[in-house]
Amino acid sequence: MTTLDDAPPPVLPAKPGVSTFAVGGALIAAALTIVTARSVGFSLSEIITNFTRKNSPAEGLLHPDWGQIWSRRSRTAFIETLQLAVIGTAIGATSALPLALWSTTFGNPNRWLRMLVRSCNNVIRSIPDLLWALLFVTAVGIGALSGLLALFFFSLAVTTKLTSDTLDGIDMGPIEAANASGASLTQMLRTAVVPQILPSYTSFVLYNFELNLRASAVLGLVGAGGIGQRIEFFRGAGRWEELWGLVFMFFLVVFIVERISVTLRRRLI
Amino acid sequence: MAQSKARSKVRGKLRVGLMPTPPDQPAGVELPSKPVTTFRWVSTALALALVLWSVLKIDAKWSRLIDAPGDMWTLCTVMFSSMEVNKISGLVGKMWESIAIAWLGTVIAALLAVPLSFLAADNLVGRPIAWVTRQVFNVLRAIPEIILALAFIPIFGLKPMAGVLAIGVGSVGTLGKLFYEVIEGINKGPVEAADAVGASRLQRLRWGVLPQVAPEITSFLLYRFEVNIRASAVLGVVGAGGIGSALAQALSFKDFGTAGLGLIIVVLGTIAVDTISGAVRRRIVAGSTPIVKPDLNDPTKFEARMDDFGGN
Repeated sequence: MTTLDDAPPPVLPAKPGVSTFAVGGALIAAALTIVTARSVGFSLSEIITNFTRKNSPAEGLLHPDWGQIWSRRSRTAFIETLQLAVIGTAIGATSALPLALWSTTFGNPNRWLRMLVRSCNNVIRSIPDLLWALLFVTAVGIGALSGLLALFFFSLAVTTKLTSDTLDGIDMGPIEAANASGASLTQMLRTAVVPQILPSYTSFVLYNFELNLRASAVLGLVGAGGIGQRIEFFRGAGRWEELWGLVFMFFLVVFIVERISVTLRRRLI
Repeated sequence: MAQSKARSKVRGKLRVGLMPTPPDQPAGVELPSKPVTTFRWVSTALALALVLWSVLKIDAKWSRLIDAPGDMWTLCTVMFSSMEVNKISGLVGKMWESIAIAWLGTVIAALLAVPLSFLAADNLVGRPIAWVTRQVFNVLRAIPEIILALAFIPIFGLKPMAGVLAIGVGSVGTLGKLFYEVIEGINKGPVEAADAVGASRLQRLRWGVLPQVAPEITSFLLYRFEVNIRASAVLGVVGAGGIGSALAQALSFKDFGTAGLGLIIVVLGTIAVDTISGAVRRRIVAGSTPIVKPDLNDPTKFEARMDDFGGN
């Protein structure tokens, strides 16, 4: 009779080795952190001393000027921000639909044309919104029109990207059916593709509107109209109480718009 | 042209020849009624009205719109015709500073967001704690990074540190939201196994949770790094260092050649980092099954991911 002591020791599976990819990645990340910390002059003590000493932004944050919410000039600036976001979304997102369709294999059979559209989309996307605003303020001049043009390109980039991602995953059946029945390219896109993506596309447009509302607040910092111009004015004057009051009001507006938009999007899908 | 004409001719014939005659509808069969589209019509009409009101009321100089393409063309020609090659190294250095700001900011955000996201996952902590932590994330997500930068610049001066902290604090909300969604989707098995062999709370996290979520968290971090590069280029415009500062300065001094060069470097640098980081991300998630699939059709899922487009 064998006892438990006599039994041969169980054969344990070998421990999995350490992944060289993970170790290498961690080392590179650590090295990169050290190098970047050197090049921007990072110091923890600087953060602590700077935050613990008295400073006007923090003082202003403690006593925000709620009166900004009822100030007439702030309200005018807000309405301009809202208008910028609405028009920017309307024209940007509308132009994004054909651009997204033309960057797919079924929507644009010509390979070179497709590559051209795709690289255009990539370049537009790699320039951030505030840089667009900076360029348009330089070329077209200070004012809401520059902000509008900047938002147009920003919306174009965002909506095109999201819509093309959705287009990658659509059902090819209706497209084949449309082609088999002899539809032209436009007819095929209209009847087989657009109905499939319309709910997602509409919700992207609404989401884009929320983004534009936030973006149009900062465009004014470079002189492209809207609430940002007033934020910049208060910052220049060092009036942080008013600035924070304005920022809080801005959050309130964004929050309300977001709620409305989320409700609409839930119903759409 | 001729071909398409012929095709449409054929189609016309086919239509005549093959069109089935509609069968007589037997009495008593009711077709399903068309879905109600009142909601759609009302919302479309409201949206159109909103657009119309904005176009009519906005205080924009529409007359300038006609000249705008010409003005842009002029700007492009001055920017791209008067570039000086010896400015390249300085601008590349500035771009590197932007990348450094983005990287350090992402590291700071990771150090804050990873522990916090464990406190926001309601399969790990009680509901009240999870709720409070999530509200912290929501507030942080609402603040545009550029507003944070505006507040940090008077504290730190016109230095990259203001940008680093703005990006660090600004990314915590979005990252935290993405992370706790990942954590909530984990497989319970390893956690139960860890409990069964008597693991402490910390050991349970280390051996039951972390191995499951690490690939996806790392890949989200890298993704956020790509987004933050754009953000840090923008933060420079208000004075938080990096290529943005150089661009804004060049444009305000009407040094268009330098501005054009800077713009090219921003685009190329962004695309280059995107490509490298994207390749690493794909390698990281290649072996694992994603816990949270970016389902663009689900509004609750894509919100946090799409925050990234508003990286300002």
